[in-house]
Amino acid sequence: MIKIAIYGKGGIGKSTVCSNISVALAKKGVKVMQIGCDPKADSTILLHKGEKLPSIMEEYTKKGTALSLDDIVFIGEEGVICCETGGPPPGTGCAGRGIINSLERLEKLSAYKIYKPDIVIFDVLGDVVCGGFSMPMRKGYAQKVYVVTSSEKMSRYACANISMALENFKGRGYAELGGYILNKSTSPSDRDSLNELCKDFNTQIIGEISYDPIIKSAEENDTTIIHSYPDTTVAEQFKNIAEKIYA
Amino acid sequence: MNNTLKILSCYSADTAGVCSILYELGGMVVVHDASGCNSTYSTHDEPRWNKKPSNIFISALTERDAIMGNDAGFIENVSSAAKDLKPKFICICGSPMPALIGTDFTALAEEIEINTSIPCFSVATTGTYSYIQGAGEALLQYIKKFCIFKKKNHNTVNILGFTPLDFYINGQLERIVKLFADNGINVNFIGKYCEDILCASVNLVISQSGLKAAKYMWENYNIPYMCGIPIGEKLSELILKIQNIQSPTFIERNTEKSDLYIIGESIFSQSLSYAIELETGLKSGIIYPLENEGLKTAPADFTTESEEETENFLSLNAKKIIADPIYKNIAPKNAVFHDLPHFAFSGRCYEHIIPNLICNSNALKELIK
Repeated sequence: MIKIAIYGKGGIGKSTVCSNISVALAKKGVKVMQIGCDPKADSTILLHKGEKLPSIMEEYTKKGTALSLDDIVFIGEEGVICCETGGPPPGTGCAGRGIINSLERLEKLSAYKIYKPDIVIFDVLGDVVCGGFSMPMRKGYAQKVYVVTSSEKMSRYACANISMALENFKGRGYAELGGYILNKSTSPSDRDSLNELCKDFNTQIIGEISYDPIIKSAEENDTTIIHSYPDTTVAEQFKNIAEKIYA
Repeated sequence: MNNTLKILSCYSADTAGVCSILYELGGMVVVHDASGCNSTYSTHDEPRWNKKPSNIFISALTERDAIMGNDAGFIENVSSAAKDLKPKFICICGSPMPALIGTDFTALAEEIEINTSIPCFSVATTGTYSYIQGAGEALLQYIKKFCIFKKKNHNTVNILGFTPLDFYINGQLERIVKLFADNGINVNFIGKYCEDILCASVNLVISQSGLKAAKYMWENYNIPYMCGIPIGEKLSELILKIQNIQSPTFIERNTEKSDLYIIGESIFSQSLSYAIELETGLKSGIIYPLENEGLKTAPADFTTESEEETENFLSLNAKKIIADPIYKNIAPKNAVFHDLPHFAFSGRCYEHIIPNLICNSNALKELIK
């Protein structure tokens, strides 16, 4: 079983990338589990026709120790196994602790042993702002971290922060930096400025997503590009990234 | 608000369980917590504090350290103390603050072990679970870290799960050890440093705190275990047959209905219930306020952490109750109440009346008189 985590600045398209990678791999017969690590609990929304799933924290609050996998794990498009950590309402509680508690709960309920996914994709909210958000990159969780970024300055800044965290935690057996995914669909982007960052962290751009209105259109229709526009360049780009990750 | 305790006390926390079960193993336990909390773990929850020394520390975590994630300071302090004290091992564990900021104790333990060359392991306590979880996990980690299988010593038993939180220090453990010794069975491990735990032929699990380790040793080293405590003479005789067991063995009661209820630690309560039945023919039910995972419960039993549910259940079902005196406050007024103080629940309040029921039928009959 491979475990990877996708990080990146808020709004950069991590969930879109994750969902499309998940479906691309699932279509090839790979058993995929996608775990959204965000209090908004909307990582897997495109895999469920726009429907939001009950989150682990939400269900755990209701059911306590009686919580079972049936309450929190759902099968989405192309058989992708979906799960959302969820977390507190905006402005309250501790989102980081929500992620820790949820991921520990999945382990405790033997989720990986029961569902036996070939790949687990952690879709992690934003930057590594506290201990909780570093959980998916810790020993025993993701082996590799991929960062979704544009070449826009703030996005590169977040990308550098995430890469730096991985560098700092090297001695602890945390995940390795797998590479960057250049998302050109959110803003006009060039590779040069990102190539510079690649040099700094001795990594590479593993793939890019071009600007195409169909991305917005697929999202409006609550579905993935792979599902709605399977024969387009963008779909091909997602497939290529999926192949590199699951090589 | 079902789990709000309005009248009852709460059981000792997971951190106290870690400190208690490792107390006599010759290590150094460091709880990553704010200063001032050490008296809770090492004195309020620990009756041995003024009788036997043990290295139990608090990291004195500050708000600034928590905000800034000062792992380096913690590593440096623990390493420095360990270099001076030269303990056999170091165990680090957490409290609510590190739990919220997501301190990675596994990684910190690895760094401390590299720094000091002293074996170090961690227990992911949060301070919000019961002592059973902390003690159970700490014992399991200790065994995984230190114990090596050499060869099986026949006719030897480990006693797993002893802490004063469940057994106080009034000679209960000593009587269990004597029971085996008098009957020619060697006791291998009783909660003191021992590398040969995996060489025993069987395990006696005397509290839920020992069950995790027993399961691990059964699944990985084929050492069968029995869950039970030799309360009274008749149950003691049955427990002496431990050498004949080939697989996990539990107390099996079939109480369908009873007006006598016991409240307390799960293995203790099951043993007490069964001992009463063997000695007097009286059947009893159990209310489990703590973990009972992996045990066999009877139809009359009830599991709840809730004060409200416990109170309602008692009012509908119990005419006689055996429990810690604090439970008297939520017991039906007309119920007959037999005091059985539990140190993990009421601490020193009733320590002077904690009975020693081990191998003692008279004390058992006295309890329910």
